[in-house]
Amino acid sequence: MKKIIEVKHLARVEGDGGIYVEIENDQVKKVQMNIFEGPRLIEALAIGKLPEEVISFTPRICAICTVSHKNVAIRSIERALKYKEDKKTYFARELMHLGEIIESHSLHVFALALPDYLGYPNVIAMVDKYEDVVKQALNLKKFGNKVMQILNGKYIHGENATAGGFGKFPTEKELLEIKKEAEELLPFSIAATDIVGVLELPDYLEEETVFICCNPADNKFGFWGDELIFSNGKVIPSKKYKENLIERTVPHSFAKRSLYKGKPFTVGALARLNCIGDRLKKEAGKKYKKYKNPRWLKNPLFNNLAQTIEMIYCLERIPELVDILLKLPTPEFEKPAKKRGRGVGTVEAPRGLLVHDYSFEDGYVTNANIITPTAYNLDDIEKYFKNSAFNLNKAGKNEDEIAFELEKIVRAYDPCISCATHLVKVVKK
Amino acid sequence: MKKKPTLGIYGFTGCAGCQLSLLDCEDELIDLFSAADIKVFYEAMSNNDDEALVDIALVEGSINTNKQLDELKEIREKAKVLVAFGSCANHGCVQAMALGDGKWEQRFKQVYGDAKFTVAIPREAQPIHKFVKVDAFIPGCPPSKIQMLRAITQLLFGNKPTYTNSPVCLECKFRENECLLNDGKLCLGPLTMGGCTAPCPTHNTPCIGCWGIIEEANHIAELKLLKEKGFKTEEIIRRFRMFGGSEIVEKIEKLLEVAK
Repeated sequence: MKKIIEVKHLARVEGDGGIYVEIENDQVKKVQMNIFEGPRLIEALAIGKLPEEVISFTPRICAICTVSHKNVAIRSIERALKYKEDKKTYFARELMHLGEIIESHSLHVFALALPDYLGYPNVIAMVDKYEDVVKQALNLKKFGNKVMQILNGKYIHGENATAGGFGKFPTEKELLEIKKEAEELLPFSIAATDIVGVLELPDYLEEETVFICCNPADNKFGFWGDELIFSNGKVIPSKKYKENLIERTVPHSFAKRSLYKGKPFTVGALARLNCIGDRLKKEAGKKYKKYKNPRWLKNPLFNNLAQTIEMIYCLERIPELVDILLKLPTPEFEKPAKKRGRGVGTVEAPRGLLVHDYSFEDGYVTNANIITPTAYNLDDIEKYFKNSAFNLNKAGKNEDEIAFELEKIVRAYDPCISCATHLVKVVKK
Repeated sequence: MKKKPTLGIYGFTGCAGCQLSLLDCEDELIDLFSAADIKVFYEAMSNNDDEALVDIALVEGSINTNKQLDELKEIREKAKVLVAFGSCANHGCVQAMALGDGKWEQRFKQVYGDAKFTVAIPREAQPIHKFVKVDAFIPGCPPSKIQMLRAITQLLFGNKPTYTNSPVCLECKFRENECLLNDGKLCLGPLTMGGCTAPCPTHNTPCIGCWGIIEEANHIAELKLLKEKGFKTEEIIRRFRMFGGSEIVEKIEKLLEVAK
């Protein structure tokens, strides 16, 4: 007997993707996460551009991860052309990044994923019964946007942050406002962890996988670093990403795939908590300890819970950052020391490891490589589809029931399909 | 009670920032969902009705595959009013920055090598008005909240949306900023569709032209000015093209002639 499970257009995800699964005689014959989003060839367009142009247009790869793309492009470029990184600039970039994590996570957890678990088609339909949660979640999201707007000039595609510094630093008044709001939102964020933490998650998909994230310096938690850390404890320099995470193309997707030692892996909030979660302190650390369990290593549905814990971290870190920023003098714009070189930037976008890798000759880009978290995750998403389809079919579920469960997996990963479609191997002029 | 207008929100290729801007109306989101009968909004809902005829279709993104082109034509047939929503739909945005240079296939090969795809047939990015009649547009990369909500309200009442028909440069003056061109920076404010309230020059960073070209834009004057300031023709044209999409392509030849 043959079953075909097809979701033509995934809902409550960013971009245009679908699922196709074939089951024959109780064996899963075919599993595809299709990516229909058209290719934009961003990396090829980066060739022959100046650093500031690259920093302006590569964030257009994705609106939800625009600040991550900006920060990682800056990191790559500043490493390639040997900029000095001023302290105030560094911490302002971090603050901007946390704004994005909060905005993206709150959108994802409450508006895109939670309706599945509570049985609603969208977040607005939840208002009747969960008005307070929806409103507070929207406040959290709005706060994330506000931080990005103040730091980057606009909450989507701002231009204030660039290589060498900021056009304008936030004022003392703006910073204090950010600090106050972060403190006010913290209690809801702590409570939200428990809303998500008590959800019963199914185990039909479980299988151990490898998790990977950036390794922040000085044994701290955070969203960037020049090393990558694996859930098995291994650490490699970011520069060696290409030798370790091997890319290939598949016919059913304009997004490329990557394998580590021939196996799929997972990046994102759950990866960060699995690799460096033991570095969390304060309330975030308490929730991490409360909920951490061995199933986290084999069930990506825990990603939403991990995201709520990260939101606590962000809201606790923001007041610290404001205090640091208020004490530091406003620097002059830094200039590049060189006109040629290669730099690899790695940051943690909300959805996980994001790589920008540029080479320059005479000040212009000659090589560009961008790999996004969703592209890294696609192979593991298909692996978990396969497990789920096999077990749910065995348990007698029909096509629609299986499709709904597969959609849940996709949404737990929070794919960013716009991002996924813009990756490439090395581009040479 | 009068029947609510039906609305479809569709996305093609881009960063999804225009749809996200709708979700970013945190304070107005609940009202928006109750003022319109939303039939399609994949980014936010799972109960979508693809077959529905809609009073208003907001179309985000450029057309980058044949499959998208077919879908766009279907949306046109189903919609009373079709609105190009944001820079990608309006001009093609950054993916169209090299439009018409004849090297698209070469770039595709640079990125994907000889890989073959079954998922769809890719094509060079084009704005939607190249294929279907567009009744109205909402500019922006992404559209600003105020302008977008105003436009959607106008549409829901059966009116044509209005937009800011003045350049970023004017809004920058309103904010009493010092001119970045005087500072020797390559600012595209005089050429660019306003409505954004000039956030970039207000942060001492030049306008990059992301909302697209305003009707009254005088590219020749800006080219001459920037050349006087010491910028190379090649760099000026590159900046004009970054967000100029399909509209700048028609002006390039003339500009290169003037630059000589």
